[in-house]
Amino acid sequence: MNLCKYLLGIWMILVLLGAFLYAPTALGLGHLSRIIYFHVPLAWVGVLAYFIAMLNSISYLKRGSLLNDQIAVVNAEIGLIFTLLATVTGAVFARYTWGVFWNWDPRQTSIFVLLLIYGAYFILRSAVEDEEKRARMASVFSIIAFISVPFLVFIIPRVYATLHPDPIISFESGFQMDSKMFQVFLASLIGFTGIYGWIASLYYRYLVIRTRIEGDLNNG
Amino acid sequence: MVSKSYGWVDAVLALIKKDLIDECRTRFAFTSIILFAMTTLVMVSFSTGAFVLDSGLHAAFLWIIIFFSSMTALARSFIKEEEQGTARILKISTTPEVVFIAKLMFNLVMLLGLLVVLYPLYLVLMNPPAANNNLLVMLFLILGSSCLAGTTTILAAIVSQAGAKHTLLPIIAFPVLLPVLLTAIRGTGLALVGNFLNVVLPDLIFLFSFLVIIVTASLLLFPFVWED
Amino acid sequence: MADIYIVLIVSLISWAGIFFYLIRLDLCLKKMEKRYEE
Repeated sequence: MNLCKYLLGIWMILVLLGAFLYAPTALGLGHLSRIIYFHVPLAWVGVLAYFIAMLNSISYLKRGSLLNDQIAVVNAEIGLIFTLLATVTGAVFARYTWGVFWNWDPRQTSIFVLLLIYGAYFILRSAVEDEEKRARMASVFSIIAFISVPFLVFIIPRVYATLHPDPIISFESGFQMDSKMFQVFLASLIGFTGIYGWIASLYYRYLVIRTRIEGDLNNG
Repeated sequence: MVSKSYGWVDAVLALIKKDLIDECRTRFAFTSIILFAMTTLVMVSFSTGAFVLDSGLHAAFLWIIIFFSSMTALARSFIKEEEQGTARILKISTTPEVVFIAKLMFNLVMLLGLLVVLYPLYLVLMNPPAANNNLLVMLFLILGSSCLAGTTTILAAIVSQAGAKHTLLPIIAFPVLLPVLLTAIRGTGLALVGNFLNVVLPDLIFLFSFLVIIVTASLLLFPFVWED
Repeated sequence: MADIYIVLIVSLISWAGIFFYLIRLDLCLKKMEKRYEE
């Protein structure tokens, strides 16, 4: 287990080195294009985290174990942070590429919607007092909200046809990425997923210990 | 089995009738939705009177009015039950699916009622480009409103169980409804200019499939929200 | 060109910081878990 973590540490160092030194600049943007190795994995983790939270929500509704709800919250919190970082890095990229931080480009809109869904999820949770009810309401909401996500993702290809081409989209849909770029990109994706998994497990273990301690304090 | 399914449709109709009668007595939800829509429409019309707007803007204004009006009114269908204390009885008297379908139909009727009043007035006050495609525009309005009703019904139920705070509904509903709003606005805009069916077909399909999927999912998930 | 190296070094240092912080959390949790196994 520990070996994996140290491996991850070294992996990310390699990713960083690769992103800044090994990979060529691309898209006519010079060094700014390097942000792709961070921005996209962050967004990917944001969506992945939400997906896992939603799966846990389904589990909770099926089996009623509050553990699933707990895991869902853990993943949602981490997902929120990653999505926030993705939005910020995206806005920075937009500012230096197109001149504005935000212009409701389809990609920006979809990451913004993800942010809103996370926000709504937590606001909803804070509004319900009863533990079981809270878990139920939050679970149903996360499933319903998840349904609209693929629809949003499918607006993008169609709206894209009428808007100015977004370099990120055009390069994801078929335009050949330089092989070096692709290597670093993939490595970064794996690395960030690893970081996410590690943080999620740490958070979860922390919650387990905390409930144990609180339980002991209450009983002892 | 035949008598059972007969009872099912009967139950739904009875619930809808009850809600409609209640509505006719107080006229609260319908008046508030109409008033809100009218106020917004007047404001928009007054402030943009001097300009000629393009179809995209018209579509956007229309849907802004519809969306926010629906937010004010649609939450009531469930919150009203909680406030009046009738929720308990509703929960035991019939199956959750029946309640859901009845509330969905009621919300739909509210929104269609709004459209009937709003659209003609909008045409009069705002002078959108002469639409020879009125049918298509109306189709978008109806389809979009159905999607709105479809999602807000279950979300309103969630809000009513979550402390019955009215302001929660827009926060919860907006991210889920954004794809619907964007597509509806785009489609209505295109239809207003006079495009034919083939141009807007993808948007129509989008809205229709969203409607089907969200209603099915809500039907499956509603018992979890409604049970005690 | 020099700018990009600065960004690289800053990122490496930040990652080192984050990484060792996470390791610390990990070991701390492990210690607590061991204590509760008894």
